[in-house]
This record gives sequence, C-alpha cells and structure tokens, in this order.
Amino acid sequence: MPRIIQFTEAIREATDQMMEVDKNIFVMGLGVTDKGGADGTTNELNLKYPGRILDVPLSEGAFTGMAVGAAINGLRPIVHHGRVEFSLFAADQIFTQAAKWNYMFGGNNNVPLVLRVNVGRQWGNGPQHTQSLYALFGSVPGLKVVIPSTPRMAKGLLVSALRDKNPVVILESRWIFKVKQDVPDGIYAEPLGKSRVAKDGKYVTVVAYGDGFIAAHEALSLIGAEASVELIDLVSLNPIDHETILNSVKKTGRLICVDTEPNAFDIGSEIISKIAQERSLKLKDAPVSISCPNTPCPTSTALTEFYYPTKVDVANAVLRLMNKPTIAHQFTFEELHLAPNLTLP
Amino acid sequence: MISPLESYKKMFLIRVAEEELAELYKKEKIMSFVHFYVGQEAVAVGVCDALQKGDKALGNHRSHGHYLAKGGDLKKMICELLGKENGSAHGKGGSMHMIDKSVNFVGSTPILGSIVPISCGSAFEQKYNKKPDVTVAFLGDGAFEEGIVYETLNLAALFKLPLLLVVENNLFATNTKVKDRRSDTHNVEKIVTGFGVDYRRADGNDYEDTHKKAKEILASVRTGRPAVLECMTYRHMAHSGPVFNEDYREEDILEKRLEKDPVKKMRQIVVNSGISEKEVTGAEEEIKKFVINSVDFALKSKYPPKENIYTDVYA
Repeated sequence: MPRIIQFTEAIREATDQMMEVDKNIFVMGLGVTDKGGADGTTNELNLKYPGRILDVPLSEGAFTGMAVGAAINGLRPIVHHGRVEFSLFAADQIFTQAAKWNYMFGGNNNVPLVLRVNVGRQWGNGPQHTQSLYALFGSVPGLKVVIPSTPRMAKGLLVSALRDKNPVVILESRWIFKVKQDVPDGIYAEPLGKSRVAKDGKYVTVVAYGDGFIAAHEALSLIGAEASVELIDLVSLNPIDHETILNSVKKTGRLICVDTEPNAFDIGSEIISKIAQERSLKLKDAPVSISCPNTPCPTSTALTEFYYPTKVDVANAVLRLMNKPTIAHQFTFEELHLAPNLTLP
Repeated sequence: MISPLESYKKMFLIRVAEEELAELYKKEKIMSFVHFYVGQEAVAVGVCDALQKGDKALGNHRSHGHYLAKGGDLKKMICELLGKENGSAHGKGGSMHMIDKSVNFVGSTPILGSIVPISCGSAFEQKYNKKPDVTVAFLGDGAFEEGIVYETLNLAALFKLPLLLVVENNLFATNTKVKDRRSDTHNVEKIVTGFGVDYRRADGNDYEDTHKKAKEILASVRTGRPAVLECMTYRHMAHSGPVFNEDYREEDILEKRLEKDPVKKMRQIVVNSGISEKEVTGAEEEIKKFVINSVDFALKSKYPPKENIYTDVYA
C-alpha cells in the first residue's frame, strides 16, 4: 500500500521518529510550538516531547549559538530558520563558529547540529524573502549542506543529518513543501554527500536540485520518451558529488545544470568548471547553465514570471541540444506563482 | 578551601609563562597572534578558584590566563602557540583557540561575543541533563557591546540557565577607550538587571574581592539564575603582542599599574598569611623552572605534517 504524504509531513515524521529514539535531540525555532508550527513540520510535537520543542525570542544569533554550544556538549539540536534571510543574523555562529570548531580545536570539538533553513519562493515574497544563497552555504568548509528535492529525500536526509557528527545545513525550498510522494513509514537514511540518479538516460545529463529538480522532472513529460535524459538530483552542495556527475557526463557527453539562484557564482558554474577541467572527457556540446537573472527576485508577478527557470526552459534546453524545434507553453497563473501540488512517483 | 599560596602560584604561573612567551614572540618563535593577559590574573584565578571541577569555562582571544587558571596543560598550550603537532589543537588553532577538555576548558574564540551564546548552550546542556554544574564565559568590555550578548542575556534569563558571564573591563577595545564608546549615562548594571540577570561588580585587580564576589554569585547561578560579574582591571601590555604602549592610556598609567599589580598584591597576602619569604621564593623558582622546561619541550616538538591541512574539517 503506498503511503502518500507531503514534503513537510515527511520532515515532521523524521523529527518525531528520531526524537523518540534519541533523547539528545531537541528543536528550536520561532513558532515551533504553535499548532501547525514551522509549516507543519513541528506540528504538536511539543505535546509529545515537553521541554524538547522550544519556542524562542527573535534572536537568531543567540539561539543558533546556543544550539552550537549545546551540540559541542553532546546534545543534538535541530534549529529551524523559517527564512534564510533570518538565518543570516546567525552568520557568525553558522559560518565562523559551527563550521570551524572541529577544525580549529584539532578535532576536539565536533558540532552535531542540524540547521533547517527554508528558502522562500512564491508570489509576493519579494527581494528579501526569496534569496536562495545556495552558493554561500555551499562554499564554507566544515558544513555539510544538502537540499532535499522530494518527500522521500526530505525524510531520509534529516535522519542522516541527525546521526552525523557535524553541522548539517538542510536548505528546504518552500516551493516544494506541498509536493507528495510515497514515503516509507519507518526510519531510513539517505546518504549525505551523494547525488542521486533519478532517471537513467544516454543523450544528455541534467543536474538539478530542490525546486529546480521538480521543474526538470516535469520537463521530462514535455519532451517525450525519445529524449534520453539522465536526470541527476544533486542532493548535496557540500561536498558536491563530482564523481556521480562525471560518470554520467562520460556516458552522455552533454550537460545541463539547472539553478534556482542568480546566475553569478551559482552551483552550475561550479559543476561545469570541474567538468571543463577533465582532460580525458570529450564533450559533444557546450555545457548549458539555466538559472535566474543576476538580480534580486522582484515582487510583481509580472516580473517573477520571468525569474525562475521553468519546466519549459529545461525542456527547450534539451531540445536545442537535440537540434529539435523548441516548444511553446502557455503557463497558468497557478503554475507560475503557486507552490506545485503534484505527486511524484 | 584554596590557600592563598595555591592561588598565588596560579597567578604567578600565568604571569611568568606570559613573560616568557613575550620573549619568544619577540624572537619570532611564535607566529600566532598573541593577546597577553598580564595584569588581569586576579580575574581568571579569582573566578576559577570559585568553580567546581564539573563546571565549564570558555574564553576569548585573550585566554591563556583562563586556560591555565582552570588547570589547562602548560606544555600543550605553548606547543599550540608555536604551531606544533602536539599542541592542544594540534597547531590548527594557536593562541586564540585555547582548549583543554580534560579540565573542562571547552574553547575560546576571538570573534567578540561569539562565545557568549555558545556558553549559554553549554549551560543549556547542563540544565537539560539535570547536572549540578555551571558554565562561565570570559569576555571583555569590547565584546560586551556586541548585540548577541544582549540576546543571550534574554535567553539565559528566559530558560533559567546556570550561566555566568565574567566581563573583564580593562578600559579598552583594542585602543578605543570605553568612555569613548558609551554615552555618559550608560549603565551596565541597569542593562543587565533589566533582562532579569543578576549583576555584581568586582575589583579585578584584586584577587580577594574578585574571588569573594564570584563565589557569592556562583551560588545563585547554580540554581539557574544567570549573572554577570564585571571585573574592573588593567591590561598591562598592548592589545596584541608584547609591547607596553603608553600613549593612549589615561587612567592605567605605568605608576598606577605597578601600584595595583594583582600578582604583587597577592604575594603580599601570602606573606602576610604567615608563609615564609623563603617558601614563597622556593615556589616561584619551581614555577619558573617548570615554565622554562615547558618552553624547551615546545621548541623541540615537531611541526605537523602537511597532510594535516586536510584532517579534522569534519569529525
């Protein structure tokens, strides 16, 4: 019997099941004790785990730092930042403290901390509620950084993060919070640091993550079966699993990277750079990078319509590499501006 | 009860070790930023003498004194300053990252104020696991101006955590005077108590006053009442490095520093308590020998191999 649940429920389930087996796990974040708190990801956990689900003042630096200190002393905090912009108040604690303590104390102070950071996208969010900052988080040694693209990955990656000895940042795209999937009901782990081949193919490698992965997944149905796309779910930003990508590109000779962040210093640039340095690799075409304009994300839907890569952008990038005519698609307002409500296989 | 002689020996060890390190620094044997603690020894020892073994301490960029007062290993510390493999952080940290977890000195960081919420997290763990211990964070008057400190005061009071912040007010943030950084009506006590956090002020140039007040306040910290102990003290050397720079000083001029020198004062207390001059001198000679041996040990120790760049990024 399939058990179809949505992305946020998968996170809540992993949190609940892991808290049951590990008494050192506790959760901190604004509104995590509210009914439906943290977009439902902590809903009513405070009733089951009194004293372990902590609402906090608007002091991101202090409560993130408190989590770092608790982690160093053996607890396993989950810190929830509902928007990535607010997590930047804690930039010192995340980048300069949590990421460095094990290294700068010669291995004497590991930080088993889980940071759940939500990345905004949807109508009306505007320049200060939509930053993705994937490259920023991905560029700091000492952090492990993952992006779940499906409910199954959301649960399995959180389980792995809660078993890891290091600070793990989970960047969760709000755009895919309503995406559904059949998710195993017990505890299972998906590895940190490993990309996932979501679909085998021979002609072109498409690398995507988070909301971009959903767009790439939907693109497959637009271009039909004759386009042999190998779709890679990047999963991890630190480390980037260059080996899985390289093995795929060796086979296909073609590469498309899908980013949902501004196109300067994006993740695709990093991947393409490594591929370009492989002397033994003979590419059949120039690598393609699809990403957002190098601007803040505007608020007006008349402008955001053109901001994020869509399934059509991905499909047409594949079709261009095949020298086939591109397709046109009339998007509805819902498709462009509301979080998708789809069920993944 | 810790005898005056025991406390004096700790203060003297910190003083002599740092004077020896200053010489090494001048000879360019220490290629790590060093912030000397000379002049502030009464604070580290006065507070740490009031702690229990299970209590934890964390520090800042100027923390040799805190580390040694908590009982940290001198040899490992000097090796760390010299960048040697057998340093307390295997050469990855240096002077600004003191650690000896065997005596519950958990770590120190130079980004001002950053240690405060981390210490709060340590106190949170102590409460979470119903331990009888407290956590002490040492910070300076400069760090006390970082916003995260005030956020943490609120958190510690809200969660009723056993956290003591020891603010060593040495009058300067680098060379900027505290009076040039705060309004005329700025009032630390009112700010702290406004958060529901207890406040005491001590003469940080005086071991007995600092120790007495630390002991008193720690009794209530242990019951989950966080507190700030502000210790007024003098930094004898420059902000960084071993020089004695006088041109920016107003209150803490050389004459005043000598008059209030906490190590000298503590020596007098020891002598007044009936310990013979001979015994004190004997103890001092022992400590000097120990320091010199430790420096020799560190100088002879090996540097880490280059592949160690890649170790410990992750646990």
